[in-house]
Amino acid sequence: MRSGKNYALSLEIDQLKAQKREVCLRLKEAKTQKNESDIQRVTEELKDVSAQLSEKKRAFSKSENQVLFAEMNRHKFIYFMLIIPLVYYFIFKYIPIWNAQIAFRNFISLKRTGITGGTWVGLENFKTFIGSYYFWDLIRNTLMYSFGKLLVSLPMSILLSIAIYECTAKYLRKIVQTLSYLPHFLSWVIMYGILLALLSPSQGILNDIIKLFGGTPKNFLTDVHAFPVIVILSDAWKEMGWSAIIFIAALMGIDGTLFEAATVEGANSWQRVRYITLPSIKPVIVVVLLMKIGTILDAGFNQLYMLYSPAVYSVGDIIDTWVYRGTINGQFSLATAAGIFKGVIGMSLLFISNWASKKVTENSLF
Amino acid sequence: MKKTIIVLLVALLTASFAFAQSGAETAAANDGPVTISMLYSATQTEAGALPADWAGYAVLENELGIKLELQMLPSNPNDQDLMVRAMAAADELPDFFTCSREVWADLAKNGQVLDVTDYYKDMPNRCAVMFDDAAKNFVTYEGRIYGFATPSAIAGNEGLLVRKDWLDNLGLAVPTTLDELYDVMYAFTYNDPDGNGKNDTYGYGAFVEETLSYEIYPGRRFEPLMGAFGVEGTWNMNASEFGLRIHDEHYYDWMVFFKKCIDNGVIDPNWMSYKKDDFRAAWKQGKFGIFREQNSAYAGENNYAPFDANFPNGSFVVVDAPIGPYGQSVGPLCQGMRVYAINADVDAKKAAKIVEMFDWMSYGEGYLLCGYGEEGKNYVLDAQGLPQSDASLGDLGYAQSKGQAYIQLRNCAFNYSNAQEIALRYPGYTTKVSQKYMSAGDVLLEMQKKTWTATPGQNSMPKPDTTDVSTFYQQGIAEFLNGTRALTEANWKAFVAQFDAIGGLVWEAQGLEYAQANGILQ
Repeated sequence: MRSGKNYALSLEIDQLKAQKREVCLRLKEAKTQKNESDIQRVTEELKDVSAQLSEKKRAFSKSENQVLFAEMNRHKFIYFMLIIPLVYYFIFKYIPIWNAQIAFRNFISLKRTGITGGTWVGLENFKTFIGSYYFWDLIRNTLMYSFGKLLVSLPMSILLSIAIYECTAKYLRKIVQTLSYLPHFLSWVIMYGILLALLSPSQGILNDIIKLFGGTPKNFLTDVHAFPVIVILSDAWKEMGWSAIIFIAALMGIDGTLFEAATVEGANSWQRVRYITLPSIKPVIVVVLLMKIGTILDAGFNQLYMLYSPAVYSVGDIIDTWVYRGTINGQFSLATAAGIFKGVIGMSLLFISNWASKKVTENSLF
Repeated sequence: MKKTIIVLLVALLTASFAFAQSGAETAAANDGPVTISMLYSATQTEAGALPADWAGYAVLENELGIKLELQMLPSNPNDQDLMVRAMAAADELPDFFTCSREVWADLAKNGQVLDVTDYYKDMPNRCAVMFDDAAKNFVTYEGRIYGFATPSAIAGNEGLLVRKDWLDNLGLAVPTTLDELYDVMYAFTYNDPDGNGKNDTYGYGAFVEETLSYEIYPGRRFEPLMGAFGVEGTWNMNASEFGLRIHDEHYYDWMVFFKKCIDNGVIDPNWMSYKKDDFRAAWKQGKFGIFREQNSAYAGENNYAPFDANFPNGSFVVVDAPIGPYGQSVGPLCQGMRVYAINADVDAKKAAKIVEMFDWMSYGEGYLLCGYGEEGKNYVLDAQGLPQSDASLGDLGYAQSKGQAYIQLRNCAFNYSNAQEIALRYPGYTTKVSQKYMSAGDVLLEMQKKTWTATPGQNSMPKPDTTDVSTFYQQGIAEFLNGTRALTEANWKAFVAQFDAIGGLVWEAQGLEYAQANGILQ
């Protein structure tokens, strides 16, 4: 997108920057030698170079903007397509931020109190949430499922995508890909029925196998030790294929000549994956990881609401399910406070992770 | 370019608002029928929404000048509450809607429902069959009436069922005491009652069906067993012993008995995981032989058919609750009430139309259209002039699979206390496979004769203020039962003490205050 004029300007800026660095060194040296006339002369020179640099930068920026607008104009129809998602985000993501102030008020309804008309209660709803008898259990469970799913689902998705990509049998690849996507389209209500058929202590397939080997049937869905494992694995099963799509897309973008060269050099499949595939999709993995960290306190309401029961509240109740039970009683301000709490934690984690990723892997979202 | 984008964005937003407003303007400008939006509780949610060709729509529009727009509530009471509360919070309540009393109470307090005290006189036909003082008190707030409380279900329409063919196969008598019932449960579990040579049956079956205010965890399906210990329901409504059942001295004995049943495997172990449909599928598949079930869910033609197909020689008997060491009861009995309310934003003209429509639904043509559908299509009149779901109507008969969709407004019509109405609602029939006569109406009468604990008004008792109290209650009981906590007297006392500390006693005090204020202590 850069024009010839801009290219020349950028070269000039680079030259001026180098010149400025050189002048700065000379000024430093003059100061060390305490040579007043040199200091004065070099200072004047530095001012002159700095002024030239500023002028060139302004010209460059102006020219860049002109080029940008020209490019936007050229692709205006593509930019028009942005309007719909922008409106969506404005209406559904930004306007609600204003409405989120009901977390600090005693909200009744839009007409009775409105967003701003409810009694100001300050941090009362946050105190109620944080002061809940179950607050730390909720945080622990929420994080357990979020990180658990991240640690299990993400590597499995990557492995699946690589396996599909490496598979040379065309039909097998398509069948595996389709079958792995399918569970994503099933609701958790259906998934619950499938899990009950698999895990029921009376007629579940798993318990039938246990009984076959002389074991005692177990009610996995109400067992506090088994329940978290079921939640994490069933999520991986349902979403693994769908999550793999983005990695398969990234794999498709790898230059095929790299693999050819590696094969010629005698690299085996594992070495190709290790030294070409994984490094090539690393930026995508980092981006996906960062985006998931941003929603780390969304542990999967639909899934847990369907699967949990009072017997496993101690390991199954997450912030969202607790809030849902409260919302049934009309505690919208409390629910909003919990939502803000989640959002703030998620955003903080996102910034920290992004910063850490930039430092360590040189890949980041922004 | 920037200007173009801004202009487009503004145009798009303006167009959206314009489209959103246009509907309201059209309605306001039109002098035709009054449009009434209504949120209703369907007779059978699984049958689907009221079809667009329901004859009542045309009658309402042509004769009453009402264009009715219906929206169905979900089947789960918690989901219903959440939906109405969310609509109320967004000020999106329909003109006329039904909700639980608890939601109604909040709406009345917030000024979101219309004062209808003066509208009762405009419903002479409905007032002739319902709305006694108790019904009016049910929806009274600060001396004014803010809704219409109608019967939501037939009182005492559930009962304890036992597989009669299993009893006969094992040579057992109908159990009358708790010990006898336990022995039958044990035999049903371990003595192969269905004779298939497999150890694949259980004594008792249930799922968790609870309402915090009335039938708390583990819920109503276990109440015939809890009744033997005198701890059925959420509250002891007796004036001299008032309190939460969990504070009853015999509650621990019930827990010990319950745990024994679970540990000895005589209760279907899926009870904590089953949803309602799973539970109903399970008894129809012969998984267990004793359970509490609703009359129609058991003996209604469509509901009984799968069991009849699976077990043509199978049969049930409705038994009384077992006599235990401290009591006997199928469960707490009180007339369930459904509250209908008018949105406070409705103007006087529309409110009058709503009342007119509600009255129309309770008598004559409106009653028949809501309660039985269209004559000749969903019912035919017999020699006595009573509507019947005749076999000649095929699937469209009101008691049949497709016809059930046409009677989704039946709850707006029926008063559930009229013997003739009950007989018509539950017509007798001959089962397809075993060719035996069945009648959910007869079953209902049988169930109502059994021993219940009369506690009128208990279903309007308050829920706990915070989620923590109910969570602690449910989780604690469940953990004692699944073995996560050891059920010892010391542990139980510690649990109850902790429950009281986090809000149980406050809840109990609120309950007492409410019960005294509303005169519902026994």
